[in-house]
Amino acid sequence: MPDKQLNPPKWAESILDFCCRTDYHDEIIGDLREAFYWRIEEEGTFKAKSKFLWESLLSLKPQNLKTSYHLSINTMILRNYIKVTSRNLIRRKTSSLINVLGLSLGITAFMLIFLYTFGIFTFDDYHTEKDHIFMAYKERITPDGIQPTYDTWVPMANRLKSDYPEVKSATSLYLANAKAIKNEVYIDEEIFYSSQDFFDIFSFEIIQGRSSEVLPEMSSMAISEAYAVKYFGDTEPLGQFLDVFLQEEDTILTFQISAVIGAFPENVSIQPNMVIRLDGLPFYPDYVENWGTSFLETYLTLDEQASVDQLIAQFPDLVEQIWDGKTRGNTDFRLLPYTTYFDTFIGSKEDARTLLIIGIGILFIASINFMNLSIANAAHRLKEIGVRKVMGAFNGQVRVQFILEAIIITTISVIFAFGLVTLIIPFFNDFFDVSISWQILAPWQILAFGLGLVTIIGLMSGCYPAVYLSSLKSLDVLQKRVSIGGKSGLRNTLVVLQFTIALFLITTTLLIRNQISFMVDSDMGFSGDNTLVISASPRSFTNVDLGVVKVKTFQEELRSQSYVKNSAMSRAYPTQWTRSFTFVRPEGWTGDPLRMRYTYMDANFLEMYQIPLISGDYFLPDSEGHQRESVILNRAAMEAFDFEPFDENQIQLGDRKIRVVGITENFNYETLAEDVQPTLMFHRTADHPVHRYISLDIETSNLTEKIGEMEAKWNELGAVDEFSFDFLDDRVAQLYEAEDRYMGLVAVFSVISILVACLGLHGLSLFVIERRQKELSIRKVLGAETAKILTIILRDFTKWVVIAFVISVPIVVFFVQGWLETFYYRAPISWTTFGMTMGLVLGLVLFTVGYQSLKVAFSSPTRYLKDE
Amino acid sequence: MNLALGVLEEMILLILLMKEETYGVEIAKEYKSRFDQTISLPAIHVVLKRLEKKGLVHSKMGEPTAERGGRAKRLYHASNKGFAAAKELQEKRSDMWKSVPNMKMTFSA
Repeated sequence: MPDKQLNPPKWAESILDFCCRTDYHDEIIGDLREAFYWRIEEEGTFKAKSKFLWESLLSLKPQNLKTSYHLSINTMILRNYIKVTSRNLIRRKTSSLINVLGLSLGITAFMLIFLYTFGIFTFDDYHTEKDHIFMAYKERITPDGIQPTYDTWVPMANRLKSDYPEVKSATSLYLANAKAIKNEVYIDEEIFYSSQDFFDIFSFEIIQGRSSEVLPEMSSMAISEAYAVKYFGDTEPLGQFLDVFLQEEDTILTFQISAVIGAFPENVSIQPNMVIRLDGLPFYPDYVENWGTSFLETYLTLDEQASVDQLIAQFPDLVEQIWDGKTRGNTDFRLLPYTTYFDTFIGSKEDARTLLIIGIGILFIASINFMNLSIANAAHRLKEIGVRKVMGAFNGQVRVQFILEAIIITTISVIFAFGLVTLIIPFFNDFFDVSISWQILAPWQILAFGLGLVTIIGLMSGCYPAVYLSSLKSLDVLQKRVSIGGKSGLRNTLVVLQFTIALFLITTTLLIRNQISFMVDSDMGFSGDNTLVISASPRSFTNVDLGVVKVKTFQEELRSQSYVKNSAMSRAYPTQWTRSFTFVRPEGWTGDPLRMRYTYMDANFLEMYQIPLISGDYFLPDSEGHQRESVILNRAAMEAFDFEPFDENQIQLGDRKIRVVGITENFNYETLAEDVQPTLMFHRTADHPVHRYISLDIETSNLTEKIGEMEAKWNELGAVDEFSFDFLDDRVAQLYEAEDRYMGLVAVFSVISILVACLGLHGLSLFVIERRQKELSIRKVLGAETAKILTIILRDFTKWVVIAFVISVPIVVFFVQGWLETFYYRAPISWTTFGMTMGLVLGLVLFTVGYQSLKVAFSSPTRYLKDE
Repeated sequence: MNLALGVLEEMILLILLMKEETYGVEIAKEYKSRFDQTISLPAIHVVLKRLEKKGLVHSKMGEPTAERGGRAKRLYHASNKGFAAAKELQEKRSDMWKSVPNMKMTFSA
């Protein structure tokens, strides 16, 4: 009996089933199947499979088909069309090659873009309830404007669910860093604190365990399929125990696996690998009714009929119930539709849309090539068209011939592109750090996608030649009274359009590049050359008190090294700046407090990073002890408080008054896309547990050796975290990864677009020159110089590129200005960039056309004049 | 009626004569073992249909089997007319061979 795994492809069989005559059915399909199993034994699976497919195709002969198909397909004339097409393709090798190459390139680019953007457009579609899922968040109403913040309180989910009947399910979600312990080894993981409602809201499939009660016990854990394999290998995961060190709780807890979550796609924002119960955690009782500290996310689903606006309208009352009338005035609850989650937190669908438009543009360029070349080639086929017409072909039939040809060429190109894309995907993913694959589409979707491309491109590029050529009068054609390409208006417009698109893409790429290098190169207001930042937190140790001592020893040891010029401890550092906020008032202010970032640093920090002061001083050295009554502001904070530098300023945190000892210039602690926000900088001595990072100013010679030494020292301490470090320079460059990727994508596709456009131009110039050979030869005979002849040919092409350039400039300016608006610090649009692009493209065009022209200019005129 | 046979037609007709009753896959196997050359099933099907049209073979439906995905075989057997046609062809061929002079035959080892 044949193996279940080894069956012939089902779809091929269904096609046969559908098309073949019923009385031939059993014989054909049965024989093919039997032969398939026989060949597996004789020749192997691959050959058996490919022979099966090939023979299925061969079996679709007209005489095997159901009679209804016989009538509808005039096989004779179809065969004639195909034969003529293939002869034409072979006879005119250059233009066929240009056609297929250009189209394949264009289609490849489009497919890659399509796959990439499709993943983004269908982001989170995995969740069937997507349209009814919301994220609850709060808005702070401050004098500076409304600030949304997405961290909410522990009791929020339950409160919303109990107070409003339209809230079907609601859950808290907290993503914590934890270390799973496997064979005494601590492995870094992200763990989800949540509840049963999590599984009711999101569509994650429970493949083992009960979906109605995923986490039955306080110590239950749901684990993803991949993690089940990672931690338990082949053994049955249900009921197994897993020890997890929860760093933020400072405890090790044992969990029992109660459910396994089925595999979920890549384009889902929440990727739960380990889920435990929030209410099972030791700190939970302290927070269950705590409306003071907000740190987790709240998700909920609403009834289908529920009105979001009505629900939101009730929230101010809820705020007043929870706190008081005053809070009602400055805080509001909001609901973020899950459909906008991607744009809010992850990326930009707008950018994806732009890319897709670029893809369509490239496809367009490629189709235009095809159209231009087929009209150009038609000059050689006038006789054929004439004879067909004389023999009684209707216009429609001539049209079908040309459209069919277009479709055949497109089909070849699409098949070619499919192969090319499959080959390129791994490199593409690697290079741009994305993850695209065909798996995102179902097989039928891929098939429909391919057929759709063939139909659209085939019709688009076949229609114009078909209509134009079929409308010629047969007598004129046979007497050579028409000159093809005489009416070149449309053709020229198309070329101009092609180059407008290509020029647009190239200029945009260069302008995006300008902005990125502007951001990377600009002075961020601190000095980070040769700065190395090491994560060293007392929380890297199983006991915090012990950790403080160990980190201190570590820092002192580093400091004693000759290559360490300076060092500082801090809670945050530029590029990894604080996300903590507090409420603060300038002294004597009676209005609402301001919400402001704050962070901690030791006395050395600002000096080491060479952040300049406007007024006042840095903190006193650590040896002077804690300076809890001192704060340093940045310029933005000074302006927010309306302070004057050099004044005796004070701020108020609650009832505590704190003296402003210094004001720094603004420094860009994160990307230059954002403005500098007010920040309060507090002092804590180097041995205080709030610190997380050691910044070192070091000699950069023999780096690997030195880092090795540091790592060895760290490992001696017995931390559960591995030694981890970053160079500040690298961190600054990483800030612009998203922009870099976007630029890379646009760059690659603009190169493709110009390549395809030049390919088309190459074909077109061949044709133009061929048509004017006689004219040019006569000019030569009459004494024209080579340079003169070159000018004649190049003039037209140059004109088109210049027109395209003029059209592209305003479009580029409009688009790039829109893109730049998302950045706070902008590089000016540089006009030299436009000049450069223009020069580059013009150079390419002249090279493409010039090569052909030179051949004519140098050739002997007799060659072309004697043929009549 | 034109009974001229192509080489492939003749070979398949011969295979049919050798076996009492047979079908596509078996013919493919037999052909492969005899000539050490593969032949596609659709080609066999076409030939069988042609032979049937000429009246040299007859066919009937057989039993379905599991490895055929529950589909029946079409079993072919040669008719008397088929036997006569093949035989006539063979005799004519022997006749012609007789007039090939022996001395022209050289064998290389």
